[in-house]
Amino acid sequence: MALLSASFRVLPSKAQAPGPIAAQTYQLSNGLTVVLAEHHTAQVVAVDVWYDVGSRNERPGHTGMAHLFEHLMFQGSAHVGKGEHARLVERAGGEESGQTEDDITRFHETLPSNQLNLGLWLEADRMRSLAITDTTFGEQREAVKEERRLGLDNQAYTGAFLDGLYAVYDSATCFGYAHTIVGSMADLDLAGTAEAADFFRRYYAPSNARLVVVGDFDTVEAKRLIAAYFGDIPRGEVPAPIVCASDSAPGTRRKAVTDRLAALPAIARYYRIPGHDQADTPALELLSIILGQGQDSRLARRLGHEARVTVSAQSGIFTTRRGPQVFGVFAVASRGVTADSLDALLAAEIARAAGEGATEAELTRARNIHRASVVTDRQRAYDIAESLQHAATFHGSIEAVNTGLGRYESVTVEDLRRVAQRYLSAENVLVLTVLPGGTS
Amino acid sequence: MSRVLRLAVLAGCVASGAPLSAQEYPATAPGPTPLTPANLPPLQEAMLANGLRLILIESHEQPLLSLVLTLPAGTVYDPAGKEGVAEMVAGLLTRGAGDRSADELNAAIENVGGSLSASTGPDFLTIQADVLSTEAALAFELVGDVTLRPAFALGELEVLRRQATADLQNELSEPAAVGARVLALGLYGTHPYGRRATPQGISAIARTDLLSFHAAHVRPGGSLLVIAGDLTLPRAKQLAESTFGKWAGTAPAPLFPKPPVHTRTETILVHRPGAPRSIILIGNLTFTSTDTTYLATLVASHLLAGGKDSRLARSLGHQHRWADNPESSITRPRGEGAFEVSADVPTEATDSALHEILLQRRRIGTEPVPAPELEAARNALAGSFPLGIQTVSQLAAAVAEARALGLPATDLRMYRSRLSAVSALQVVKAARRSLRADSNLIVVVGDGSRIYAALTHLGPVRLVSTEGNPLTPADLVVRKGPVDLDLSQLQPRTDSLIVLLQGRAAGTEVTKLEKTAMGYRYIDESRITGFVQQTTEIDLDARAAMRRVTQTGKMQGQDTRIELAYDDRRVTGSARVMSPQGPKAFAVDTLIPPGTLDDNAVQALLPAFRWSASARWELWVFSSGENRVEQMTLVVTGVGKVSVPAGEFECYQAELSGGTQRVAFYVTTAKPHRLVRIAIAGAPIEFVAAK
Repeated sequence: MALLSASFRVLPSKAQAPGPIAAQTYQLSNGLTVVLAEHHTAQVVAVDVWYDVGSRNERPGHTGMAHLFEHLMFQGSAHVGKGEHARLVERAGGEESGQTEDDITRFHETLPSNQLNLGLWLEADRMRSLAITDTTFGEQREAVKEERRLGLDNQAYTGAFLDGLYAVYDSATCFGYAHTIVGSMADLDLAGTAEAADFFRRYYAPSNARLVVVGDFDTVEAKRLIAAYFGDIPRGEVPAPIVCASDSAPGTRRKAVTDRLAALPAIARYYRIPGHDQADTPALELLSIILGQGQDSRLARRLGHEARVTVSAQSGIFTTRRGPQVFGVFAVASRGVTADSLDALLAAEIARAAGEGATEAELTRARNIHRASVVTDRQRAYDIAESLQHAATFHGSIEAVNTGLGRYESVTVEDLRRVAQRYLSAENVLVLTVLPGGTS
Repeated sequence: MSRVLRLAVLAGCVASGAPLSAQEYPATAPGPTPLTPANLPPLQEAMLANGLRLILIESHEQPLLSLVLTLPAGTVYDPAGKEGVAEMVAGLLTRGAGDRSADELNAAIENVGGSLSASTGPDFLTIQADVLSTEAALAFELVGDVTLRPAFALGELEVLRRQATADLQNELSEPAAVGARVLALGLYGTHPYGRRATPQGISAIARTDLLSFHAAHVRPGGSLLVIAGDLTLPRAKQLAESTFGKWAGTAPAPLFPKPPVHTRTETILVHRPGAPRSIILIGNLTFTSTDTTYLATLVASHLLAGGKDSRLARSLGHQHRWADNPESSITRPRGEGAFEVSADVPTEATDSALHEILLQRRRIGTEPVPAPELEAARNALAGSFPLGIQTVSQLAAAVAEARALGLPATDLRMYRSRLSAVSALQVVKAARRSLRADSNLIVVVGDGSRIYAALTHLGPVRLVSTEGNPLTPADLVVRKGPVDLDLSQLQPRTDSLIVLLQGRAAGTEVTKLEKTAMGYRYIDESRITGFVQQTTEIDLDARAAMRRVTQTGKMQGQDTRIELAYDDRRVTGSARVMSPQGPKAFAVDTLIPPGTLDDNAVQALLPAFRWSASARWELWVFSSGENRVEQMTLVVTGVGKVSVPAGEFECYQAELSGGTQRVAFYVTTAKPHRLVRIAIAGAPIEFVAAK
């Protein structure tokens, strides 16, 4: 009861707009989109390149290539030796990363601002002249397998829950979102350098990329460097469009897997929801916070603290896509609680959201949490760069970075009930049961 | 990449039609341009009447606010024998304060998207809150509550004590952590910077200790409140005044013994039987926090072992392939700090690696640093600095730390330019003073039976056990063989143990010892709900030597089975067991030393060991899950009262090491000896005698 009363003490925040991000965008003649945002708070620059390619671009028999390719991007180019990329960034005192998602692949360097030239040059060199050899290809193929083995396959539930996200849509009509990012090891074993070279030519062209630079730099100088480093890289062809028919709800589907690292049964419920730019996304995101994010969320409070039927429970929209997305609810049963009874309780909680809806206090809490995360991400140069990339890719314009929060502030409790009824229904769910044991 | 390959790639690239502009496109990585000046907002300062210093770093760029309250209440103020009090105080501050329980406090901050935390270091206890600036009043209220009105609820204390004990046991099973403790104690002697929390200290802490620590050390005088973000000075003062105005007092000024002066190099070898690698740590005391040679010493430390280009990374890593990650660090507390360098090397290379580290360390203080190497080190250190002060939260923490250490207000602003001005001569001088060549403390954690002799060639070596007790070279001699058993203790009996997972009952283990025509039979039925279900039958001969082991069961849903026959020289049979990689099956046919125990039989025979407070046994143990004979050590680490559901017993606490996990056994001092508790280090599982 103490917890419940705490949630009623949430007062509406005096919503204050986040400080605006001033950015400009232009295109080079080879089609590279550039976004520049000067931000002089810290003597730092972030160089952030998104390629418009992800696992959704892969075809049957060729899965895992986008992720493997992200690895290859660190293995050297015409002027950068193998392994030297990371070394050069470390020497400058910087940070770098690469990451593959369903829709995009991102690469970034955060550097002290007097090394903007290094970040731009490293990105330009691999965009213009990536070295793809049989040796590096073979090594990285093994590295990807090892990553899966030591990462996903070595943590209870994670692999099963993530794999489940890609079982929601039909692989015949929506192959792009019906296979995992890591892909099939058998496909990877068949892939070779020729396929990698083709992938590079098709997707890693300037015309398929966006370069965002944020931080303590001079725009005139940055433009000069960008023109010199990227300007003469040839434009690529236009990649084939991705088709994903998210056909009408197929009714409740069930799937069961075993997890040898799991000690307790667990349930994942996956609901089919529209693409990120659709009007219902803000309401669904706020609903996911109300249901399953934080200690005061419904699942944590009602199924965790009060009924004690889960040891952990959360919900969220775990992958951001232009195409149809997935609203996931995950819970691990307490000792002595069966998978079926946990699922029934989860289903009842979700049905309650569609029936009774949520309270104003819960909506305020969700808005507060969302707003705080948006504002917090406007400080680090790299976080700002990512916000701009997100706005341009998923909302069609960098302007959305300054207007996006409004879509969340205008969500009402009625919207929450409406989206819960519309999407979190029994007709629209895939229920995954994870049981301890087995070798999968 | 080879040069040929690189040229081939380049040629391919040119041929594919990407013309390179010779003037504009650099063929090598472009170097740094001049530093731009730091753009930190000015620090605005105010002092409350009660002595609490206020520093505001005003920035209205985003509606965010970070509060950092720094109190002179670090671990140095732990009462002797109760090491861990400061950490427990910090841990409990946010677990209930003012009108809020732990859960309510959590919800209050989480529901506005903020965060609230408390932590402790050697000198200071720090409380930090981050919120949207619209929640400024709430942030002050919560920081005020946790600072001034913590509940120190008994239930929360026990939860934290269990966590802290488990964390500490985990830490003590890590050789690097054991080495760091021995090094700190050796460097600082009786100065409290050398002390660390101990399981005994943590178990001795009572709520009254927390209350008196809080009353004495959580005081406004000498404390510092740093605020960064969207707030004006008048508003900050008003909020600070209304939150902290009535708080009064000054923490007592510390009176610590001076750390010892080390005049010669000493070596301590921490004997870890069977360790496959050695941890080498070398340290010496340096200077207090405001010493002007800090940055030059930092550069010296970076040259030695700061990253992949460092001298030790090149020699220990690339050249010899002994260690991938040698590290060096300068600790910078308010008082005297220390320089440390460490590496994790193969046992057989221990003395060579140690020699190499000492050599490279001496070179930094004697040979001029080549200009490009100096430039690279300064660039890396100056380059990473601004990445760490991008957010108001980072900024508040950095300003708080600098000011608490007594550094001038200009420290952060001038950091990079001062670092970039460090000269080669300054580095050599600083290294000579602070990376000492002739008065180091060397700590090696490894298998003494294999490295002691080699280390003595480098100088005198003091031997200690992992618990810090002195050993003699005679203790290194491996004396394994049949354990001398007191067969009178092997009487027919049945024992029930409860299996606790994270403190909750999760299963049972029932053991039964019977006399048979051949000798003895021991039957063990273990059941952990949803996880393990297994029956083990062990036959021993009349001398209690191993004869046969049969184990059947299910683990994580998989069938497991072990069937082994022992004679004095050999174990044969088959096993199907679970491993972290899944089930594995294998045949067993292994030569064994006389007296080898099956790992399943250790528990059965413990009551027949000849117990005393200083007992120590070297055992050969056949581990059927691993299909190998392991050298293990069982050593009594203490005698004390143990409370389990079956009652309170005075017990020998003994630790079994050398296998995959360290296991603590608690055996009653009273005869017939009875095993009443088993705890596995680093795992949340224990077995306790049932009523």
